[in-house]
Amino acid sequence: MEKLSTDILIIGMGGAAQLAALNAYDANPDLNILIVTKALRGKGGCSRMVQGGFNVVLNQNDSHQKHFADTLKGGQFINNQELARIMVEQATPTIKEMETKYGCFFDRNPDGTIHQKPFAGQSFDRTVHKGDLTGIEIISRTTEQIMKRNIPVLEEHRALELLTDNTGKQVTGALILDMKCGEFKVVESAATLVATGGGPTHYRFFAPGPEKSLDGLGMLYRAGVRMVDMEMLQFHPTGLIVPGSVVAGSLLEEGLRGAGAHLLNSEGERYMKRYDPEKKERATRDVVSRSSFLEMAAGRGYDHGGVHIIASHLGPEFVEKNFPGMCLRCRIFGYDLARKPVPVSPTAHYLMGGAVFDANCQTSLERLFVAGEDSGGVHGANRLGGNGIADSCVFGRLAGKAMAEYLKKNGDKKAETSIGLAEELKARYTEPFNRKDGISPYPLRDQLRELNWNKVGVARNETDLNDGIREIDAISDETKSVGIDGIKAYNLPWNNFIDLLNMIEVSRMVASSALLRKETRGAHFREDYPDQDDQNGLINFFQERGKDGVPVFEQKPVDLKYLKPVDVKKQ
Amino acid sequence: MVREYEHTKTVSVFRYDPSIRDEGHFDTFEIQIADKRLTTILDVLLKIQKEQDPTLSFRFACRVSMCGSCALVINGKERLACKTVVGDLKEKEITIRPLNHFPIIKDLVVDMDPFFEKYKEAMPYFDPKEDTEEPAVIKPDSKERRDIGLSTECIACGCCVSSCSMVNYHDAYCGPAAINRAFTLLADSRDGLNEQRMSKVLDSCYNCRTELNCTDVCPKEISPTRAIKYIQKQACIEAFRKKEKTPTQEDIRSDAKIPADVEDNSRRRFLKQMTYGLGAATAAVVGGVLASAAVGPTLRKTPKQWIHAGEMEGFPLNRVSTANIQYTNLDGFYKSKKTTPIMIYRKPDINQSVVYSSRCTHLGCTVRWDEGKQIFLCACHGGAFNSDGSVKDGPPPRPLDRYAFKIQDGALFVEVV
Repeated sequence: MEKLSTDILIIGMGGAAQLAALNAYDANPDLNILIVTKALRGKGGCSRMVQGGFNVVLNQNDSHQKHFADTLKGGQFINNQELARIMVEQATPTIKEMETKYGCFFDRNPDGTIHQKPFAGQSFDRTVHKGDLTGIEIISRTTEQIMKRNIPVLEEHRALELLTDNTGKQVTGALILDMKCGEFKVVESAATLVATGGGPTHYRFFAPGPEKSLDGLGMLYRAGVRMVDMEMLQFHPTGLIVPGSVVAGSLLEEGLRGAGAHLLNSEGERYMKRYDPEKKERATRDVVSRSSFLEMAAGRGYDHGGVHIIASHLGPEFVEKNFPGMCLRCRIFGYDLARKPVPVSPTAHYLMGGAVFDANCQTSLERLFVAGEDSGGVHGANRLGGNGIADSCVFGRLAGKAMAEYLKKNGDKKAETSIGLAEELKARYTEPFNRKDGISPYPLRDQLRELNWNKVGVARNETDLNDGIREIDAISDETKSVGIDGIKAYNLPWNNFIDLLNMIEVSRMVASSALLRKETRGAHFREDYPDQDDQNGLINFFQERGKDGVPVFEQKPVDLKYLKPVDVKKQ
Repeated sequence: MVREYEHTKTVSVFRYDPSIRDEGHFDTFEIQIADKRLTTILDVLLKIQKEQDPTLSFRFACRVSMCGSCALVINGKERLACKTVVGDLKEKEITIRPLNHFPIIKDLVVDMDPFFEKYKEAMPYFDPKEDTEEPAVIKPDSKERRDIGLSTECIACGCCVSSCSMVNYHDAYCGPAAINRAFTLLADSRDGLNEQRMSKVLDSCYNCRTELNCTDVCPKEISPTRAIKYIQKQACIEAFRKKEKTPTQEDIRSDAKIPADVEDNSRRRFLKQMTYGLGAATAAVVGGVLASAAVGPTLRKTPKQWIHAGEMEGFPLNRVSTANIQYTNLDGFYKSKKTTPIMIYRKPDINQSVVYSSRCTHLGCTVRWDEGKQIFLCACHGGAFNSDGSVKDGPPPRPLDRYAFKIQDGALFVEVV
C-alpha cells in the first residue's frame, strides 16, 4: 500500500473542509496540508448545493443575541449553547472574509449593501444569499482559493476508516481508497479533520446528492468517537416529487415559504393554518414537515403521494425573478413553479446529531477534529434554514486555525498506527470481490431506505423503532453476502457497497437514540409520546460504539448556561 | 402494445476498459422508460447500471445541476446528464459518450486534471485589491455587476472545453471556462490582479474563432464567447486610456529625478499595454472575417504525419481489410497515444484504392464491413454506407471520411493530423 504523510489531513471538500484548509494554511503556510475528497475538487458535498443562504448578523437592528435565541428556539433548547453562541458570533467575521478575502459577491440591496432575506424561525431577515443557488458562489470561490495556495487535493479518493494507535485513543491518519484505480493508500497525519458532511441519503426521499453516504459519521463512530443526539434528523418540508427519478427529494428552497408560498393538501386546504395558525408556512422545518407528513398519512395527499406548494399568488414575475434556480429545476420536469402547484414531500435533509466537539473543534479522540454536518450539538433538535452553511463555514474556519495552533503547540510528530490495522481493514473492504455468486448491494440499499422512511422517519413509535433496529441488523448481516464483479477501477457497485456500510451504521445510531427519547421534540416526533416534555426532555443522548458494536448510551441534562426556555417565553 | 413500444429506448453507451486499453466501443441497451418527461439521462444510466450492467462507470454528485460532475456528450451535444430529460431529445435513440479532449479513465468517466491545469493558467482566483474587513458597497445595477451578471455561476463542468474546436489546435489556449472566470475577475473592481491576469489570458483570447460552441452548450447559460470579446475590448480600451496619459514634455523633463528602474518599469508597462491594444484590435478584425468561414486545415498547428499502416501484401485485392494505426496525437489539452481503426479497400489499380476512416459520420461509432451485403454498417443507429463510402441508409450526414495514403517500399502509409 502506498503511504503518504502530511501534517494535516482534511477529509472532505465542502465548506467546512475548504475553510479549514485555507485558515490552517494562512496561519502557517509551511504546514503540509492534504485534502482528500470523494468527488472532484469542490464538486462533492452539500455546501455546494446550498440554495437559500447563510444566516448572519450584519444589520445594526439585528443582534447576535437575537440570532442566538432564534437558534435555540429552533433547536428546542437542547443545543450546546456554547457552540451555538460561537456560531452566531463568528458568522459575522466569517461571511465578511468570504467577500473580502475569497471574492464571493452576495446579492445586494439597491444601495449596494448586502441583501438579507427572510427565512423560517427568524426574528430578523438575516439570510445572506446569491440568488437561490448560494452554494455555487461559496464553494466555487473557496475552491479557487485552495488552487491559489497550491494546497494538494486527492480527488475521487474516499476515506474508508480513521487509523488509530495501539491505545485507540489517538488518530494517526486514514485509510483511503483511490476510486479511479481502485487502489488503497494510507495517509499518516499529525492532525486529522473529518468534514465530509452528513447527508442522510438512507431514506426514500433525500435532499443531499446521491454520492453522499454518511461516510464521515460512519468512520467517526467506528473509530470510537463520542456522538450526540443522533435521533435528531431533519426532514425538509419541500422536496420535489419526480416519480422514478434520482432527482426526487431534491429541494425547493425555504425562501419560497419565506416569501409567502402556500402548502395545500389534496382537498385544496392550506393546512398549515390548522397546525400553526400564527406562523403557518413560515413555521420551522420540523413543524412544517410533520404537518405535511400527517396530512399525507391521513389520506389528504395527492396521487403522487405528496402535497402541493403553490407560489403563483406572489406573481409569476416575482417568483421567476427571485427563484430562477427553483423555477428551472421544476421546468426540467414540466412543472411551472411560477404559475402552478408543484408536488412536494418532506425529504431527509440534515443530521443535527453528530460527533461531540469543543470550541476548538476537537473530538473525544486525540489529534482528531471535526466540523460541519459530521459534528453534533449546535442545532439541537432542529436546525434553522440558513444555519447549516453558517455552521460549516464558521467551524471549518475555526478548525483550520485550531489545527495550526495544535501543531504549533504539539509539534508535527505523528503517533504510530497500530501494526497491521490498515492491512486488516483493506482485506475487509475487498472481501466482496471474493464472492463470485454474491448478492447485489442495490436491493439492500433500497430496503434500508424504505425501512428508515417507514419506521425511523418523520413519525416514530416504539414498535416501529424496535422493528426497524431488527431489520437494520438483518440488512447488516446480508451485506456479508454481497459480491462485486469487474475491475476495481471506478467500480460503482463496490462504492455503493461501501456507502451502504456507512448508511447502516448511521441508521442504527439514529434508531437506537430515537428509541430512548420518549417525547416529541423538534425533528423527533413520537406518535406514542406526542408532547414535548420540558421536565425530563432537556437532555442530550450521547453514544459510543461498545465492544460488540452495539452503541453504549449516556444521557446528560443540557447546560442552559446562557438562555433558558422560560427566558424566551417571557419575551 | 403501442405504449410499450413508445417507452422502450435504445441507448448506446461508450465503453472503455482501462485494463485492456483498446480504442473503446459502444454497447447498446434496451431500456423501459415509464415517463419520458420525468426521466433524466442520469436516471437512464443508473437504470442500466442497476438492472443490466453493473460494470458501467459514470460520474455524478449533486443531481441538480449544481456541481457539474455529470457532463457528457449526449446525442452529439455536451449536456449535463442530470439536467437532460429523455423527452427533450428529438432523436429516436440515445447515444452517450464521454466529453471530448479529455483522457478517459473508464467508460464515461474522464480525467478532469487537464481542465483544472488549464483553468489555473488564467489565475482564476480573487486577490483583494485592498486589505479590508468590510464587504464593498457596490450597487447591483452598477456597470461592473451588470457586466458580470450570472457569469460567476460557472460550475466547471467542462462542457465548453469539450465543445470547443480550437482547444484542439492551440495547446497554449486555456479554454472558454478559464477565460470566463478571468473575465468576471477583470470586471470586478475589488480584484487586484488585473494586469497580471490580463497578460495571462489575452493571448488565449486570440485562439477563439467565435464559433460560439461553448455558448451554445453551457448548461448554466453563460457565454464564454462574450467573456472573450469583453477581454479583447477591455485590452483596447485600457491601452488607449494609458496612451492618453503618456508623458508630457514636462513629465519627460522631470524624468531626470526618477530613478532609472522606475522609469524603465513604467515604459515597459506602457509598451506592454500598447501591445495588448494592437493585438486585440487585430484579433477583432481577423476574428470577424473568420467567423463566417469554415476553419480550414491551415489553422491546424499540429503538423500532419504519415503513419505506417501495414505491408501491402497483407491487404488482399478487391477486398476490404481493417487495420489499426497507432500514433501520437495532440488532442486539445493533452498529448495522447492513439489507436485508430481504418479500412482499406484495395483495387488492382492503386489509384482507385481507398482508405476509409472507420468512424461513422453520424456520431462517431466504429463501422464494420459486411462482406455478404458489400456495405459498411454502423451498429449504433443503423447507418449504412456503400462500398464507395457514400451513404446508403440511416442517419449519417455525409460519406465516410477518407485518408490520404501513399505506398512506399511495399508498405501503406496514411496521413493523419
